[in-house]
Amino acid sequence: MTRPRRDPRAERAAIQVAAGPRPRFDRSARAAGGRPRRDPRPERAGQRVPGASRPRYDLSQVVPAQALRGEVAVAAEARQPAAAKILVVEDPAFLVAVVPDAAGGRLSPHDRQVLGAARVLAGREGGILVVSVGPCEACGPAGADRHLALGEVGTDPDERAARVAAALAVASPRHVLFPESLDGGDLARRVAVRMGVPLFDNAEVVAAGGLVRPARGRRVEQRAAPGLLASVAPDAVADYAGPPREARPLAHDLPPAAEPASTILSVARIPADPATVPLSLAEFVASAGNGIRDLDTFRQLVAALHATPGASRVLCDAGLMPRHTQVGASGTVLAATCYFALGISGAPQHLQGVAGCEHVVAVNTDLHAAMIERAGLAIVQDAQAVMPALLRLLAREKQEAGEGS
Amino acid sequence: MRIAVLLSAGRHPVSGAAVLPRLEAQAIRIAAGLGTPVGLHAGPDAAAVADALGQGLSRIAHVALPEGADPVPVLAASLRAMAPDLVLAGRRGQGGDESGIVPYALAAALGLPLIADVVAVAPGEAAGTLRLDQSLGRGALRRVVVRGPVVATVHPDAPAPLAYAFGQARRGVIEPVAAIVPAGPAAAPAAVEERPYRRRPKLVKGAPTGGSAAERLKAATGEAGAAASGRLLVDPDPDEAAREILAYLRGIGVLAPPSPRPNP
Repeated sequence: MTRPRRDPRAERAAIQVAAGPRPRFDRSARAAGGRPRRDPRPERAGQRVPGASRPRYDLSQVVPAQALRGEVAVAAEARQPAAAKILVVEDPAFLVAVVPDAAGGRLSPHDRQVLGAARVLAGREGGILVVSVGPCEACGPAGADRHLALGEVGTDPDERAARVAAALAVASPRHVLFPESLDGGDLARRVAVRMGVPLFDNAEVVAAGGLVRPARGRRVEQRAAPGLLASVAPDAVADYAGPPREARPLAHDLPPAAEPASTILSVARIPADPATVPLSLAEFVASAGNGIRDLDTFRQLVAALHATPGASRVLCDAGLMPRHTQVGASGTVLAATCYFALGISGAPQHLQGVAGCEHVVAVNTDLHAAMIERAGLAIVQDAQAVMPALLRLLAREKQEAGEGS
Repeated sequence: MRIAVLLSAGRHPVSGAAVLPRLEAQAIRIAAGLGTPVGLHAGPDAAAVADALGQGLSRIAHVALPEGADPVPVLAASLRAMAPDLVLAGRRGQGGDESGIVPYALAAALGLPLIADVVAVAPGEAAGTLRLDQSLGRGALRRVVVRGPVVATVHPDAPAPLAYAFGQARRGVIEPVAAIVPAGPAAAPAAVEERPYRRRPKLVKGAPTGGSAAERLKAATGEAGAAASGRLLVDPDPDEAAREILAYLRGIGVLAPPSPRPNP
């Protein structure tokens, strides 16, 4: 068993590039014959699952090094993250029902957390049933196996509770979870009283082994095995993170509710007035700092944007803005969705007040200001120049909309 | 208007001392603006709710109950005898189980509608109706007009309680009332295990599930998410900057899109 003898001179002559007076060799070409040399680093890189936040490797696939070097054509979709496959639980061993708030037909973040908690209770073989009053979209990606959409009911919360209780009696789930929000907690208690079943409310830990809720002013915690009804505290349980599920719509033939006539005569929703709502409750805060000299324009802009006015400590100390508008550690800590900072550089004490805001827009002249670093949209420009431009643009849009009608 | 305010023996959240729950003091303030409220307490000791006299009540009816007995049948019987137009309660107890189920059980026992999380109550335009403002969070309200009588629970966003008045507390009376129905049997101890409370790590919003500690730290300090992928415009034209800002605000949904006004 002899290996054919190598002829280095002939190999060298084979890779010589013809052109030019000096001899040149193309060493990138693979040596003829023999096993290709392995390069473990690109192989490892090829096994990395794209998209995951931490490096994760799919060891079941071996991407040949030639493919990584581009010598073998690789199907393009092989490198792409495969479209997530919809998980189907054909015959669930038991059901865990979730009654989301689903205001406006969309799941709230709290509803998604409750679906995550329900998956913990359902485990691998259980199924999650979403019982929504009215339509509810995107239940499947949030983790629902079945979806029972009850018809819209009137304004009476008792009527809603009666519908939900009737649906739960038909579906006979092992556990029912509610969000412990204003409307969800209300519905949960109504359903509990109607069904005559105790409610384990405000669960902060949800596990198959037991639920935990705080009691006596958070001095003790109560632990019990999961019962029929429970409500889940906000921001206590993580969302469902697995592959999307099917959310198969279920038909229902519930008899129409035979409730006595409602004593509720009328229901009207009054949206919060941004000018008077307390700063800690406001949804959109526009705030002025030391870079603002023309506060009249600022007030006009706040009114035009339907925002709640805020200010930095410097303006409040100078008496230019009322003290109750101060944002920061010694003022108000915001829970707003969006914070619009005009001429604020972002002292650490101010940024503490903004820490809970999801979106920050900053206008400041200093490129290196902390607020510019924190902002999702940062504009390095004089806020005094941007404010009139914003007002002009809003006025023009209003005029165009008025002409269009 | 006859108003009953349900009072409970609360515990102070920090010191653990016996105290009137703040929500019930707020309920007394709402009730005092409508008429002359009467307090109602079912429990072993009326001294626990004597503070309510200084907060604006002039009379408290006290039904003696053994410790741990179910107060709902006794309260329901007392309220049937009083026949109030409005029953106010806090949305949760304070210092006990804090489950907030008693007003619901009571409303079901009395056959009355219940309006939860009320911040203001006013008489309605028609006689015998009440206009209640329910809190929806973030300052938004739901205005409900109900034909009375009605049970309502009070939300913490309601106006702050009245100042404690010592003279009023001295003048107020606590009337013992005999229980009309026998107290229900003490609730069967549920299979609940109690331990000292342990704080659990807060869920960090925006951190990927199963992510590393560095990613959670980034999410907590706001360096991840919108800020990490933030756009930076250096010295743009002010009009250009204004367009960008409005587009961003509309993208995240805090500013309404420029829609033509509906035709009259």
